[in-house]
Amino acid sequence: MPEGKFCNKVPVNTEEELKALLGDTGGKQYYEEMKHLDVDRDKLWATIQNTCKSRIRTWLEICAHCGMCADSCFLYLINDCDPVQVPAYKIQSTLGEIIRRKGDVDNAFMRKTMEVAWAKCTCCNRCGMYCPHGIDMGIMFGYLRGLLYGQGFVPWELKIGAGMHRVYRAQMDVTQEDWVETCEWMAEEWEEDYPGLTIPVDKPDADIMYTCNAREVKHYPEDLAEAAVLFHLAGENWTVPSEGWEETSLCMFAGDWEACKMQVLHVYDAMDRLKPKRMVGTECGHAHRATVIEGPYWAGRDDGQPPVECLHYVEWVAEALREGKLKIDPAKRIKEPVTLQDSCNYIRNQGLKEVTREIMSYMVEPGYFVEMNPNGEHNYCCGGGGGFNGIGLFRPQRNKALITKRDQILNTGAKLVIAPCHNCWDAIRDLEEEYKIGIRWSFLKPLLIDMVIVPDHLKPKD
Amino acid sequence: MFKTILFATTATEACDHSARTAFQIAKQYDAELTMLHILGVPSRGYSQMVRDVKTGEAVNVDNEYRAWVVEEMKTYYAHQLESYGRVKLDVIEGHPHREILRYLRKKPVDLAMLGGPTGGEDDSVYKKVVAGSTMHRVAKHAPCPILFVARQAASFWGGISNIVFVTDFSRASDAAFEYAARMAGSVSGELHLFHVVDISSMQGGMVMEQELIEARLREARSQIRRHYVKKLGAFRDYSVDVWEGLPYVEIVKFAREKQADLLIMAHSTREKDPESVRLDSNMEQVIMRANCPVLSVNRPQPI
Repeated sequence: MPEGKFCNKVPVNTEEELKALLGDTGGKQYYEEMKHLDVDRDKLWATIQNTCKSRIRTWLEICAHCGMCADSCFLYLINDCDPVQVPAYKIQSTLGEIIRRKGDVDNAFMRKTMEVAWAKCTCCNRCGMYCPHGIDMGIMFGYLRGLLYGQGFVPWELKIGAGMHRVYRAQMDVTQEDWVETCEWMAEEWEEDYPGLTIPVDKPDADIMYTCNAREVKHYPEDLAEAAVLFHLAGENWTVPSEGWEETSLCMFAGDWEACKMQVLHVYDAMDRLKPKRMVGTECGHAHRATVIEGPYWAGRDDGQPPVECLHYVEWVAEALREGKLKIDPAKRIKEPVTLQDSCNYIRNQGLKEVTREIMSYMVEPGYFVEMNPNGEHNYCCGGGGGFNGIGLFRPQRNKALITKRDQILNTGAKLVIAPCHNCWDAIRDLEEEYKIGIRWSFLKPLLIDMVIVPDHLKPKD
Repeated sequence: MFKTILFATTATEACDHSARTAFQIAKQYDAELTMLHILGVPSRGYSQMVRDVKTGEAVNVDNEYRAWVVEEMKTYYAHQLESYGRVKLDVIEGHPHREILRYLRKKPVDLAMLGGPTGGEDDSVYKKVVAGSTMHRVAKHAPCPILFVARQAASFWGGISNIVFVTDFSRASDAAFEYAARMAGSVSGELHLFHVVDISSMQGGMVMEQELIEARLREARSQIRRHYVKKLGAFRDYSVDVWEGLPYVEIVKFAREKQADLLIMAHSTREKDPESVRLDSNMEQVIMRANCPVLSVNRPQPI
């Protein structure tokens, strides 16, 4: 059977299609159809010829098969050092093989490749740091996912996720009306405790344009309220765009390159329209990578930069604390062993480890901050990155992957884990649910809200 | 007074006392009763899975599953549903406190009711994530009065003739007072205005002179008269009392002594972390211990 009703090579572009796909609970029919999906070999080879550039071709060519990447991969380590989990093997036996065969691969090969691409690599890029040639398997798996997506071999949830971005320009079904209403709701709800609090929508020429993650809006809008409170207390001139507020990109996880471009252009359009001095994104790692690091290239920007200077949330927090815009009450600093999860997407891939340590120095009483081992740019993936968290089909593999982070946390002795990244936060929450090690986990915002000093003129008069 | 009522329920034993009261009030006022069940907490990021709050299992929620849960609710409340027909059932997924508040914002009601806390069960899905704090968070932010019925002894809603209003003199208490006064007027009942001078610091060794306690008692009585009594106008069936002690203990004792049918108070704590206020929260303690329903009113209500 060439194309299935749900599993096919056509992206989801309408709300109707999206609802139909969601109606296939758990992707049961979708995965059944996938077993019979044809591979368009001509298209696959043509795509490779057009898009597989010299960097990836060189990497595949110069890999010495030395195996030094093996120990760098947490999935290799946690799976009893199974040779099929060696990063070089994983990419050579999938992308490398497709290229060697000039795209002449069959359905079974593509399904196996899909499992490798989404369940055996989280695109954490750690192997790239340990390869003597600097070969980064994470980058190549990102590329491979694009090839697979183009052929319809993508996990059900990620086809939905990419479809959400295409239909709503958000990773969840949050419409523009939902978003603006949520901003009003949160401002009203929290204004009682923080008089004068507003969430200004579409304010031109603000110093900061804030972007966030649709899950915050959909499931825990307190996060938006907390961001608003911290901007308010810091005296920032800020705004949110009515359109282009979603910073995340499940299409990046899915390998839907076209949707990646659509999504990031939506955010850049908001920057062009409102002309903020800077953009600050929420505590999300992949969103930052998508919108700030990879996005400019998807959008075809010559300078490789977004239209305005963009900060990850941790950069803004560090700046606000450093410059005294936010002041922490010393009596309320964290006085228990606490550890920090380094998000691959902005620590390893953008070098912000000093920034997060600076934040810890303000928030945690000296002597209580405990580093994970390894940490910083050497830290392991949370276990749920790159889309792994959301894929039901690969849940057992993901749960096993969480063991690395579980043991890292246990070894610190800390009961509180600060995770300024949605994926990491989810993975750590899930590992507690799965393995019950008795920890708490938090974004920065709620912790900061509890410890910042509210200036007298901003206190409620009751 | 109550034309529309929302009853948020887990459809488990923890909510039985509230359910009894919800149906009693709905019948008495011929109100439209909406029973809302938050069926699962999203636990898988952007995946379609939620953790079912009753079974504890990770499930893919679709229309079929929602319909099945509604059927379960119908079975659980079959007896009550037979006796009263103006009932709608709804299920949604999300974090309980947030979805209840969202529901109340989209579909305003005259009264909302929450079932008992589920925090006692070790494996409660609610517990660690959002859980025992649902009560606190909803009470703090709800636009309408919230009625809590935590004990069987508190679940008999008959004629309301004795209302106890408890104040801490906050702005939120003013809104609760207005509501209490209106309610007492509408049912021609008695209204008992009550305040507790908190001397719990004495347990920590901070000894208070008796003169100081008595001065505070006098001041509080005077404040109740200045602040509330003059607003009662022609209404005469009221009393003013101020006791000293541990607030929630004294409130529960006072309500018992007055044979209160309803306790009305504001939930006005400014503490942000619901977990840290749970044990200290006066209201939560009152809710758990009182032998009558407790109504939380935090902001002025439309007449």
